[in-house]
Amino acid sequence: MNARARTQDDSILSARDIVNRFGKQVVHDKLSLDITRGEIIGIAGGSGSGKSVLLKTLIGLREPDAGEVLLNGKAVASIGASERASLIGVLFQQGALFSSLSVAQNIMLPMREHTALPVEEQEQIAAMKLALAGLPADTGIKPPSALSGGMVKRAAFARALALDPKILFLDEPTSDLDAIAAGGIDALILQLNKSLGVTVVIVTHDLTTLFTVCGRIAVMVDRKVTVDTPDMLMKSDHPWIREFFHGPRAEGAMQARKTSHGI
Amino acid sequence: MATHEQAAPADSPRPAIAVSGDGDRLALAGVLDIGTLGEARKALKKTQGSLDIGGLERLDTPGALFLCNLRDKGVKLTAVRAEHQSLLDLICGLELKPLPKVEQVSRWRQIVVDLGKGAHDARHDVLDIIAFLGRAASWTVSALLHPSCMRPAAISRHVEETGVHALPIIGTMAVMIAVVIGYQGVAQLRPYGGEDFTINLVAVSMLREMAVLITAIMVAGRSGSAYTAEIGVMRTREEVDALNVMGIEPMQVLVVPRVIALVITLPLLTFFADMMGLLGGAGIALGLLDVSPLQYVARVRQAVDLSDLFVGLFKAPVFAFIIAIISCMHGLRVKGSAESVGRETTRAVVKSIFLVIVLDAFFSILFEKLDV
Repeated sequence: MNARARTQDDSILSARDIVNRFGKQVVHDKLSLDITRGEIIGIAGGSGSGKSVLLKTLIGLREPDAGEVLLNGKAVASIGASERASLIGVLFQQGALFSSLSVAQNIMLPMREHTALPVEEQEQIAAMKLALAGLPADTGIKPPSALSGGMVKRAAFARALALDPKILFLDEPTSDLDAIAAGGIDALILQLNKSLGVTVVIVTHDLTTLFTVCGRIAVMVDRKVTVDTPDMLMKSDHPWIREFFHGPRAEGAMQARKTSHGI
Repeated sequence: MATHEQAAPADSPRPAIAVSGDGDRLALAGVLDIGTLGEARKALKKTQGSLDIGGLERLDTPGALFLCNLRDKGVKLTAVRAEHQSLLDLICGLELKPLPKVEQVSRWRQIVVDLGKGAHDARHDVLDIIAFLGRAASWTVSALLHPSCMRPAAISRHVEETGVHALPIIGTMAVMIAVVIGYQGVAQLRPYGGEDFTINLVAVSMLREMAVLITAIMVAGRSGSAYTAEIGVMRTREEVDALNVMGIEPMQVLVVPRVIALVITLPLLTFFADMMGLLGGAGIALGLLDVSPLQYVARVRQAVDLSDLFVGLFKAPVFAFIIAIISCMHGLRVKGSAESVGRETTRAVVKSIFLVIVLDAFFSILFEKLDV
């Protein structure tokens, strides 16, 4: 953790001049983004603005048509499978829990692949991750199909945390959840960031999550990103950003921010 | 004195963990994470007293869990850094319960349980098939009686997918089967000087049995599985429920067009396979028996009559009906997961091929008794 303190200002992930296109349609045009170690950053944007494509590019699932992504100073594509697994954790939008395995087996899978720990110890760690994600231990033996939407997200959270990644990508962590469950996920993100020091990247258009959890927000407009704190973005002149942050739905979210930040 | 240090592997330099000190006062330095946990556990097996963790550079959640367990056993953790303290507080504060054990049943008992379950399922399966067969038949007949309820667009799409697109593979298979039968016939009949009868053998067996059988098996594997998977995925995505809510009977829009399409295409494919089989026979006749194509046609006309062709073609729509019904039924049985789609697809294909062969045997006996 000393190391973290020393390199507090270093960026853990930086994307440089990313270009992504599908046929003639250009999704990202020389997009650059730096993510600081230990921060929570939100990626917001309208439907079809290329949020998911950016996420895929950042985690190395998609090779950009131009530009590069550096994770811990190394090109993300060149990082070996085992090292990448211990650096990156991803919470997919639908959870992507393997339906043929129980929840605990889902969490133990990356441990089984990448460590030599005995099974009992893996089980103990899996139970700890479940508790960390706020799930009772008996969820562990259930198949993913027996879980509710909010529990699926939490179980997927536990699996994303399996190898204590340095950076956690969350794709729409609060979509399809009721307000209470979504609030629980928001609190979980904040808690994990604080106590584990994990960097969190959230792709979402849930304004409440953006305002209450994220220190900075990267808004995708005009095939690039504008990164700033929520307060500064509120003052932006860009028409889309203005509409996004000043629409009727933004008011309630802003209220939540004031309450949670004690402003 | 217990010192433990491991040489870093050459390719990726791994930070290591070191234990120093003696007796009741030990100190831990380096990195305690999921990679070094095994070593730490070995080195600290019999620790009592106090453990100085001020030298730890990195600590992750499994490491913290390990330290919490040590603390629960009475080991005193000293010189804890502030950032480690918060992690330890979080992990030790969790209400940890072991994962519940899945109940293990002994192997012999499991066999008995499986047998009972299998019998129970088989009984339900038979009842389900009969009920579904009845419902599907009644919906199909009502669609035929009220042509306005038919969905020509859906039917023609399925005809194209199950029929037109299957032509190349079915044609090739029919030629190959004719070649196989031809070679066997020549080899077996030559000692008796009857190799010319190979032509009769190929023509009759293709028209009566082989063409329709291989076509039905091919269609069950190709289109039956597609039916099950299509309908199954629609079920997992709640599309079938959406149809129900809109007051549209899934039977009518999902099952009936598929059944009608397959009942149309399978006889046509069988006829195509008949012709390709005869073509393969012509090749054998020319190559192995020196019978010219014109002579071959004359021989075939002698050997077979129309009833041989109709016996084959009569079976095709029956097989088509069975394949379509079984496949759609299993598609509608899919529940929830992707695994379920795979399981039902396998069952549909196995069951439809099984039933096709059983029915074919039944037809053979029937036609023999009827002297057709």
